Formats: sequence, C-alpha cells, structure tokens
Amino acid sequence: MAAVLVIEDDDRIRLSLQMALEDEGYVARSAATAEEGLDLQRREPADTVLVDLMLPGLDGFDCIRQLRRHDDVPIIVVSARSDTHDVVAALEAGADDYVVKPVAIKELSARLRALRRRARPTAPTSPSLVFGDLEIRPLAGEVTVAGRPVALTRTEFRLLCELAEHPGMVLSRQQLLERVWEYSYGDERLVDVHIGRLRQKIEDEPSSPTRVVTVRGMGYKLHR
Amino acid sequence: MTAAFATGALVISAAMAALSYDLTRRSLLAGRERSAVRAAYLDATVVHGGLGSDNPDIIEVLRSLDTGSTRRAVIHREGRWYARTADAGVTAAIPAALQRLVASGQPGAQRVKTDSGAAVVVGVPLPDSTEFYVVDSLHELQTTLRVMAIVLTLVAAATTVAGAGLGVYTARRVLRPLASVAEAARDITAGNLQARLDPATEPELRQLATAFNEMVDQLAQRLARDRRFAADVSHELRSPLQTLAAAASVLSRHREGTDERTRQALALLTGEIDRFQHLVTDLLELARSDQPPERTPVDVVELAQRVCRSRGHSPALVTTEPGLDSTWRVDPRRLEQAIANLLDNAERHGGGPVAVRLGQADGWRFLEVDDEGPGVPPQDRTVIFDRFVRSRTANARGDSDGTGLGLALVAQHAAAHGGRVCVTDRPGGGARFRLEIPEDPS
Repeated sequence: MAAVLVIEDDDRIRLSLQMALEDEGYVARSAATAEEGLDLQRREPADTVLVDLMLPGLDGFDCIRQLRRHDDVPIIVVSARSDTHDVVAALEAGADDYVVKPVAIKELSARLRALRRRARPTAPTSPSLVFGDLEIRPLAGEVTVAGRPVALTRTEFRLLCELAEHPGMVLSRQQLLERVWEYSYGDERLVDVHIGRLRQKIEDEPSSPTRVVTVRGMGYKLHR
Repeated sequence: MTAAFATGALVISAAMAALSYDLTRRSLLAGRERSAVRAAYLDATVVHGGLGSDNPDIIEVLRSLDTGSTRRAVIHREGRWYARTADAGVTAAIPAALQRLVASGQPGAQRVKTDSGAAVVVGVPLPDSTEFYVVDSLHELQTTLRVMAIVLTLVAAATTVAGAGLGVYTARRVLRPLASVAEAARDITAGNLQARLDPATEPELRQLATAFNEMVDQLAQRLARDRRFAADVSHELRSPLQTLAAAASVLSRHREGTDERTRQALALLTGEIDRFQHLVTDLLELARSDQPPERTPVDVVELAQRVCRSRGHSPALVTTEPGLDSTWRVDPRRLEQAIANLLDNAERHGGGPVAVRLGQADGWRFLEVDDEGPGVPPQDRTVIFDRFVRSRTANARGDSDGTGLGLALVAQHAAAHGGRVCVTDRPGGGARFRLEIPEDPS
C-alpha cells in the first residue's frame, strides 16, 4: 500500500485529509511542522509527500528544498495560495505538482496516482536514447551528459523521456501536461518551470539552451 | 505659447525700433539744420564783405564761397537772382513764404523738398535790399536715415525670430514636466503602479512631482491593501473549505448504511461545498482582475477546443471565420476562464452551447458563444454582466448553481484586454454572447 505523508499545520485540515486519504486506500501519515515531517520522512519514507506552504518555523519552500536534498520522492504542494509567484517558487524549489485549496479528494487522489505511475518506469521504446553527448536509459532511469551522470527527479526524467521519444518533434505544453502529469487540462506553468529545472541540469548554458529548445508559441522539443 | 512669444517680441522690438528711429531722425535733423544755419551765417558774412565794395561782381562773390558739394548759395538783390552757373534752378526751391520773411528783414530756415531730394533753405537778409539764401542738401542725412531704418527693421525681425525661438524653448521646457506627468498618469491608468516622477529633473516642479508621487504611493498602497484583503479573506475561507471538502468526502464514502434523510443532507452539503469553493475562487479572481493581463501568443482555436473538451463539450463546436489569424496576444489563463464561463453560462441558462465562433473584423478579434435557450431580454442585457446578478429566467427556474460572478468575470477579463462583451439574440433563437478584443493591443 502506498504511503502518503501530509505536512500541514492546520489540525482540522490535517486530520480530514488523513481520513479521506485513508478512505482512498493510502497509508497516511501526518506532521504539523516541516521539521517533524522531514524527520518522519527520514525514518519512514513515504511514496508521496503533500506539503502546505505556510508552515510555522521552516516554511513549505524550505521544506521542499530539504526533502529534495536527499530524496526524489514526488512532492505535491497543497496550498491556499494561488499567485503565480508562489506557484513558480514552489515548483522551482522542487515540487512536482501544485494544487490549490480546497482540492477535491477525487482530484487529489488522481494527482497521487499519476505521480506514482510516473515513479515507475514506463515501457521504453529502446534501452538507450542518444542525443549527441546526452544519453538516456529509460529502463535504468539514468541520464548522462558527456558520460557524467545527472540526477533528475522522476518528473524531470519523465518529461525528458517524453521529449526523447519524439525526437525533433514539437510537443505543446498541453501535450506534455497530459503525458507527464496526466492532466486533461492544466496549468502550463508546471511545464515551464520543470523545463527550466531540467535545463539547469542537462544544458551547458541553461540561459541559452541547445538541447531542450523552446518553439515560440508552440511548445518544446529535444534537439537531435 | 510660441505665437505669444513671437507676437510679444514683434510688438516690443517694432515699437522700440520705431521710437529710436523717430528720436534719432529728429535729433539728426535738428543738428543738421543748426549746422546748416551756422554755415549759412558764415557764408553770409563772407558775402556781406564781398558786396561792400562799389559795383561788386556778385557771381564772383558767390564763387568765393566754400560751399562744398551739398550747399548751393544764391543772392537776391534788387529783384534779380544771382547764382553760380552750377547752381542754376536753385531759386525754385526757395519757398515764397521764406522769401517774404527774409525780404522783411528776418532771417529764417525751412526744410523743403527739391527735385534732388530734401534740403534746408536758410535765408539771411543783408543790407541794400539784398537777400542771401543757402540751399543745403539733406541727401547724405537721408541716406543715413534709410540705412538706419533698414538696420532697425532687420533687428526687429531678428528679435521676433529670437522671441519665437525662445517661445518654443520655453514652451518645451515648461510643458515637458507636464507631459511627463500626463505620461505617468496614463501609465498608472494602464495598471503600472510603479510609474513615478523624478523630482530632481525639474527643480521648479518639485512640489508637483512630490505631491503626484505621494498620491500614487497612496493609491498603490490602497490597491495593495484591497488585494491583500481579498487574498486574505479568500485564504481564510479556503482552509476551512479544505476541511469541509475532505470531511464530506469521508462522509460520502461511508454513506452506505445511512438512511435516506442523511444521504439527502449529505448531497446538499457536498453540493454547497462545491459551490462555495467556486465562489471563493471567482471572488479571488475578481479581486485580482484589475491587474494588467500577462500577454503571450496563444493559439486561440486550440485553446477554445481545449476548454470545450474540459467542459464536456465537443471541440467540433469551435468554428473559425475566414481570414482569422488564430494567434492572439492575450493572457491565456484569463481568456481560458472567459471562454469556460461563457460555456458554463450557456450550459446553465441556455440549454447548452451550440456554437463557438472565432473571427476578426474591423480591428477587433471576437469570440461568440451561441446557445439555444430563451435568450436574454433587452432590459437585462447590461446588468447581466454585473456581479451577483442572475437572469430572470434562471431565477424562474430556481436554478442556483452558479456563483453569480461568471459573466462579471468575463466582462472584467475582456476589459483587462481593452475589449468588451455583449449579448444579442442569435438568429433562429437563443442568446449570442460576443467577446471582443482589439487586434492591436495598446
């Protein structure tokens, strides 16, 4: 059974989310502070982490960064804040997805399922995809640039694989949302920030990318 | 401003020129007349001496005068005129009145016009019924005066041009800060609350700039406070709503084994939580909608089809008019919400959308959503876009699904893009909502 860690300072929200997630079939653990949550995740790693942004002490952004330091566990932000600034900052800190409170439990459950599917390797078309000095091994979940291994989160990895499976083809933000996040319809900022994070890791010059390029008004493609 | 400066310079310089010309002319003429009289008296003394002898040769006496080129002397003695041959015809220039005066023993001087220009005639009575006249030409003086007039006219013209130039410069200088105030005000109206005036660039207008900046600061603070309030309220409502949504989900999971009344109450509860959630989202959106749109190029056909799919309608509803450029520079999130709200409105009050039409004409891009409902009565066609107004037909049906903010948001999003939204009758029945956005966003 999949375990979910809920880091949320509001007692009522924490309790109700925990109950609802348990009803959905998850093992739900919860923490009222970031510190407590990080500690719990170290001792008993969960498969997915839900984190609020406004937390006493260490805030949600720091919590995400700390989690990312030793873990590629999928992280979903569950926040009452919906300003672009907060969404982008949370995604840049390393979150995989962002939902705004109040989120329906069905929706949250769908997001969790999509993330867990992403966490498992997809059926690869070939054992190794090579783009110049960029090599992707979908089965092993490994990426190297000029022979040097690159650590990607699962979402970044899925995103790169999706682009790599359609070499030289432009994929629109909505197509990527559908294929990577399984959103039938969603927020394109998710794609943009993740592409940005991916570039930080695989581009020689992230500000003028040569591998993952933007096609203005259309989307992204991976250069052959 | 420029014209005023030029006119002022013209009037002042012309008056100054005229006045100085007149004064100079008077004083020069008076001086010239005095010297003419003095010279004539000297000549008269010489003539008097020359005529002292018996039977004098009058012409020879005249010849002995040193008259230069400007003066011509004649003598009238016992009814006869004597003049040097070179000075023939001079007598005609001597006015009769002066002749009478001199003949009566009085000296006199008079300015006259001769064939060869202006002159001063000086008459001196001598003994033995002799009169001595000198016609002194003012030609040189007149040339001087003419040159002076030309110079003064040129100076006046130059002063006028300089005045106009000064006017242009001053106008620019005075108006520039006002123009920057106007520009800053326009910026602020367009939503850029960062616009400020720099008090250092225009020291004379420091007060205005400071007051203006203070006003904008206050305005920005108030707007920020309002936005914060809306965001705070929304946030404060979101957290308990999250608990409600999660708890209702738990209840729904466990509704088996409960009686019919409980299930009915639970359905009401979840329905209302859902509506409450939309209301909070719409309210926050409305509170933020005065901010300028974040424009990017958007394929509007693809966007409309996507919104149709997400709302459970066929993307085939979307049709395009000939000549449509489907890439619009708009805020995708807000256009998306506007389309979604129009579709929801059609679904809720118009029996479902039957067409979504995209096109452009006369400098406007437009999006139309048609439905097959009862249409909107003319008296409701403007209020329908106000907040918390639901159409009569909706009330009549007892439909209370919506938040009452959907169309208000459409209007706000259209306005944020410099556009508008209106509703008309669809040919063949139903309502047609039309959202218009200017083709070239300013």
